[in-house]
Amino acid sequence: MSKRLPYQVPAEASDRPAIWRSLGEKAEPGRRDRTSVEETSVQVPRADGASGSSFVPLGGLKAKAEAKKATKTNGEPSSRVGRRQFFAVGGATAAAVGLSGCLRRPAEHILPYSQAPEYTVPGIPLHYATSVSHRGEALGLLVESHEGRPTKIEGNPQHPASQGVTDAQIQGRILDLYDPDRSAHVLQGGGDDPTEASWSAFDAWWREKAEELEASGGRGLRILAPPTDSPSFLRARRALTERFPEARVHTWTPVSYSQLREGTRLAFGEPLHALVDYARPRAILALDCDFLGSEPGFLRNARRFAAGRRMRQPTDEMNRLYCVEGTLSLTGMNADHRLRLAPSQVERYLRALAAKLADTPGVQLRPAVAAAVRGAEAPAGVPAAWIEEVAEDLAADLTAEERPRGRRRRRGAVVSVGWRQPAHVHALAHAINEALGSVGASVFLYDPADAEEPAHAQSLGELAEAMGAGEVDTLVMLGGNPVYDAPADLGFAEKLGQVDTTIHLSSHVDETSRASTWHLPMAHELESWGDHRSLDGTIAIQQPLIAPLRGGRSDAEVLAMLGGIRAWRGYHLVRRTLREMTGPDGFDRIWRRSLHRGVAAGAPRSRPRGAAVRDAEVAAALGEHEPASGEGWEAEFLPSYQTYDGRQANNPWLLEMPDPVTKLVWDNAAYVSPASAEELGVRTGDLLTVSVEGGQPVEIAAFVLPGQADHVVSLPLGFGRGEAAGRYGADVGFDVYPARTAASLGFATGVTVRPAGGRYELVQTQEHHSMEGRPLSIDATLEQYRETPNFAQWRTPTPHIGPLWTQVDYTEPRPPAQGGVSYEPYPEVTPPRPDAPPRYKWGFVVDLTTCTGCSACVVACQAENNIPVVGKRQVELGREMHWMRLDRYFVGDDDQDPQVALQPVACQHCEEAPCENVCPVNATVHSPEGLNDMAYNRCIGTRYCMNNCPYKVRRFNFLDWHGDVPELRQMQFNPNVTVRMRGVMEKCTYCVQRIQYARIRARTETVVNDDGDVEERRIRPGELTPACAQACPSSALVFGDLNDTESPVHELAHLDRQYKLLAHVGTQPRTTYLGKIRNPNSEMG
Amino acid sequence: MQIFPKSLNFLPLVAALGVAVGGGVVTFVFVYYFSPDNLQVGYAPEQPVPYSHRLHAGELGMDCRYCHANVERSYEAMVPPTQTCMGCHSLVQTESARLEPVRESWETGDPIEWVRVHKIPDHAYFDHSVHLSAGVGCVSCHGRVDRMEVVSVQSPLSMGWCLDCHRDPMNYENPNGTVGAFRPTDRITDMTWNMEDATEAERQEVAALFRRAVPPEQCSGCHR
Repeated sequence: MSKRLPYQVPAEASDRPAIWRSLGEKAEPGRRDRTSVEETSVQVPRADGASGSSFVPLGGLKAKAEAKKATKTNGEPSSRVGRRQFFAVGGATAAAVGLSGCLRRPAEHILPYSQAPEYTVPGIPLHYATSVSHRGEALGLLVESHEGRPTKIEGNPQHPASQGVTDAQIQGRILDLYDPDRSAHVLQGGGDDPTEASWSAFDAWWREKAEELEASGGRGLRILAPPTDSPSFLRARRALTERFPEARVHTWTPVSYSQLREGTRLAFGEPLHALVDYARPRAILALDCDFLGSEPGFLRNARRFAAGRRMRQPTDEMNRLYCVEGTLSLTGMNADHRLRLAPSQVERYLRALAAKLADTPGVQLRPAVAAAVRGAEAPAGVPAAWIEEVAEDLAADLTAEERPRGRRRRRGAVVSVGWRQPAHVHALAHAINEALGSVGASVFLYDPADAEEPAHAQSLGELAEAMGAGEVDTLVMLGGNPVYDAPADLGFAEKLGQVDTTIHLSSHVDETSRASTWHLPMAHELESWGDHRSLDGTIAIQQPLIAPLRGGRSDAEVLAMLGGIRAWRGYHLVRRTLREMTGPDGFDRIWRRSLHRGVAAGAPRSRPRGAAVRDAEVAAALGEHEPASGEGWEAEFLPSYQTYDGRQANNPWLLEMPDPVTKLVWDNAAYVSPASAEELGVRTGDLLTVSVEGGQPVEIAAFVLPGQADHVVSLPLGFGRGEAAGRYGADVGFDVYPARTAASLGFATGVTVRPAGGRYELVQTQEHHSMEGRPLSIDATLEQYRETPNFAQWRTPTPHIGPLWTQVDYTEPRPPAQGGVSYEPYPEVTPPRPDAPPRYKWGFVVDLTTCTGCSACVVACQAENNIPVVGKRQVELGREMHWMRLDRYFVGDDDQDPQVALQPVACQHCEEAPCENVCPVNATVHSPEGLNDMAYNRCIGTRYCMNNCPYKVRRFNFLDWHGDVPELRQMQFNPNVTVRMRGVMEKCTYCVQRIQYARIRARTETVVNDDGDVEERRIRPGELTPACAQACPSSALVFGDLNDTESPVHELAHLDRQYKLLAHVGTQPRTTYLGKIRNPNSEMG
Repeated sequence: MQIFPKSLNFLPLVAALGVAVGGGVVTFVFVYYFSPDNLQVGYAPEQPVPYSHRLHAGELGMDCRYCHANVERSYEAMVPPTQTCMGCHSLVQTESARLEPVRESWETGDPIEWVRVHKIPDHAYFDHSVHLSAGVGCVSCHGRVDRMEVVSVQSPLSMGWCLDCHRDPMNYENPNGTVGAFRPTDRITDMTWNMEDATEAERQEVAALFRRAVPPEQCSGCHR
């Protein structure tokens, strides 16, 4: 055995830009050893006591600040156990353990079906296609069901909107199904003490009421519902308006996409939806538009955007993203160039850009629009390059003398505007897109699902006005939570009290339910029939997987019942709707096919529309609106990446998922820029009072966010719900809805922000599991990549050092196979013996270029692997259990405006795993396929492995996190993964349960051929995907068999820009990273 | 003054001997009597329906897979639904008092509460289908079920027992006395097949199955 040579730690290359995770870390790189209270975030005290003296828990400060907010425990188990209690419990446990070995376990019963359901094979999960409506888009899903118990949601690859991927919220919806706080009863009377009623009581009451209403034609009947994409809901609505001609239907949702629709109405004369194919354009300008994170169709966008960015070789082309925004969003984190600009100034910027484009040869901006923007000036402080160079880049394809050879179509450029911006800004962007030749090339216009949908704020305003005037007698609210989320200036909650009868259908007894005279429980999407039309017109059926656990009905069912449709039950309703679309011929076949594939067959597909920008109208609208001056503070409202608008506020997975940008958990906060924070004299965690004209002042903790525009305070929605949210979501974060007015749904100007005095404890994960400043996330510009394709290797070269002991050759089939000696990271694949069984070498590739940092992988992993939720206090102690973490680094020297690098890190499955060597009980050992196995039942919890892991990916069950999980929530557990107990180490397994499942499936398809030889097929590429890679919207994560030279993972792992994390340590990880490539415009300076 | 009598000088020795012997006995008792060999093997709980494998599988010669139908597809061998029982017993023995629970289950739709006989810990994931396709027969673990009036456990079902076979399947001793875990895939449910009486073709197939077998010995083979 050769002695290991001392390995050379590569010196930090001097040209590397500064990389930091938080402002404190940047200011003081050595601070990791001296955690300080000056810090922006709560720090984990080091176990060695070195920091003991300087570590002051923020709790102490908070107490001084008169305990402004009670500390939240969020239902986590208490860790306060006294010495005596410890001995008592410990002794009893020891005795119990001793005795339990003596006895046989109690008799266990097997309960087979009396009559087995069709297709059910006990033990093998079934997958059903269904669909849900999510953030303004309908997504097709495949849901895994174990003997009738849905456990995991995946995207449906056949559905154009989801294309097989999901995001964190969709992953979280499976937990919403098993939410123990969901409403289970019809309640009557409202207030704090409603009486329990039943659906039949409500039905009987409604029959009487309906007769009364019919007599008056429905005068005084109002319906309030969130915008819908369901054809059945629309059919029910038509039936209702026919039955009650005087009734009116209002639409409201807090994160309102009305301005997008109003923008197309203004530009094209009719409401349309503009769907952008982000794979096509060479240059993308996103104006206050988080198209990767929160705009409608963002999953599709992320997928297409990644497709336009994926690099296989240096000659590939790559799109370029310019981003202008007030706060750092997911899109901003992925931008090649980013301009911090207050949301009110985006209009001014776009006008200046349009003026510049109008003067650019080749760009055919409509004349009146061009005249309207002529002479517009950029907002103060915007560099000239942001007008001139951006305009040039956007128009580059138009002005180019000749197109690149071999390219048939121009890639063009596209300008996207986000939901916060007013309609005329959207219209101007459409005019620019038309002038750039993008409409029809990369921007496609589709008819909306609901052509009659009104502007939300206006519609709710009209309702509030009518309620105030006493014109409303009966108000039916189908979903939504307007008492919580309606604009403050409408006084919705008070006016609701003036209405005689208010009926609220909702999944929880929430704020609105408590203020209503009737509360009706709403069925979950996985419990009810429905249909959804995605933005491109694809219709998908929502198919229930389980009977309503809590006896609810869907919104379409209730509406159809109110509308007097006799067959209002979901199944008949949806079937009839589809039948009307497809015609009766062969309908049964169509129906079965639609259910099977998840995409409605036979229904007319909508096609992209052609439309021309109405020059005069757009120009007139631009003339009418004077761009805001941009002085003083502004507030902007964001949908939370965790709870969205508050509807998933009781979902512990999402609450504990670190926010992709701020890495905050279990809270929201007001984001301010470092310069503005200094001006205000606040640090992260100080309370601010934000007052918006017309709204009420709200108090919220400040969060100093690099990359935030100065004098802009960003307020994430969806938190601060009281007890009505449920046991997990109660009193989490701050409610910012009171600050919002009908006129300022997106952003508000003329805002006052002042320190409120006092502190609040915010918990972030951003500095947890730090890898101590080693070169981890490696990036380069496109030019550098073309110059040095192996730039990632160049920064941290893979060492050539002798192995410590004999290496396993994973290409050699087994048995006996332990004889190979190879230290090459990728030994050449040797042909196996003809009758050798297939041998696998699992590998994982992370493409940092396409990873958007959306954190879908984090929650997908949690759903698949029964990962516990630990609560805010435990995350503060660094005990979060996520197997996959998403590191977010700031790059550059500028505090105010850094670049961002993102890096998902899970267990690297090292060949020379440092964790394996230190385990005293062999609980973590290597498998012959190179997996770093973890045997939970063998682990005694020494945590040596955790300390010896250079990647900090091992997680320890400090407490019995699963001890008090309600029975209902236990139904979500994946039966193929052990539920870990206290004192056990765990980590990413590469989803070994899926590997074993695939292997067993391949093995059971083994045949003995006529010659008596056994033929076993290999696991095919794509047959096996871990949960994270399956969810990833941008396909940045790829898993597969490195021994299979045909597999995508083999190709990617051998790309020139591959590197291994901390390669110089000699751990030889199985996970390969592909260096991030940015595509900056060299002219921007 | 001497407090302790001289005879107590032997106390430490006696105590040491006592501890050694007592400890040895305790260790022996635990290792021998509390081992799966002793605790698992022979467990034969009473079932709600006195179903006789000896009658059905032995005398009538029904294939195991008639009732345990998904054993080739799923990790569970599957206890059959009441439906399967009623397939015959709606015509045969329709009045038998012993079949009353079956008829009751069929009428009410409530399951029959069978008692689990073969039980491995929850953190171990055993898969029937892959063993069958690898050529490991029912009898290798379950013994001569066709001779059992009441089903009893024949193998320790412990990790050590699993690994013995996974490490050296050709020398595995089956509960019925034969040696070798593999058998031709079309003789999987045959309780009487053995290597000595096998035809040449069958021997060839067993050899091929052995060459291709990769019985996992790593932790993640069974623990996930």
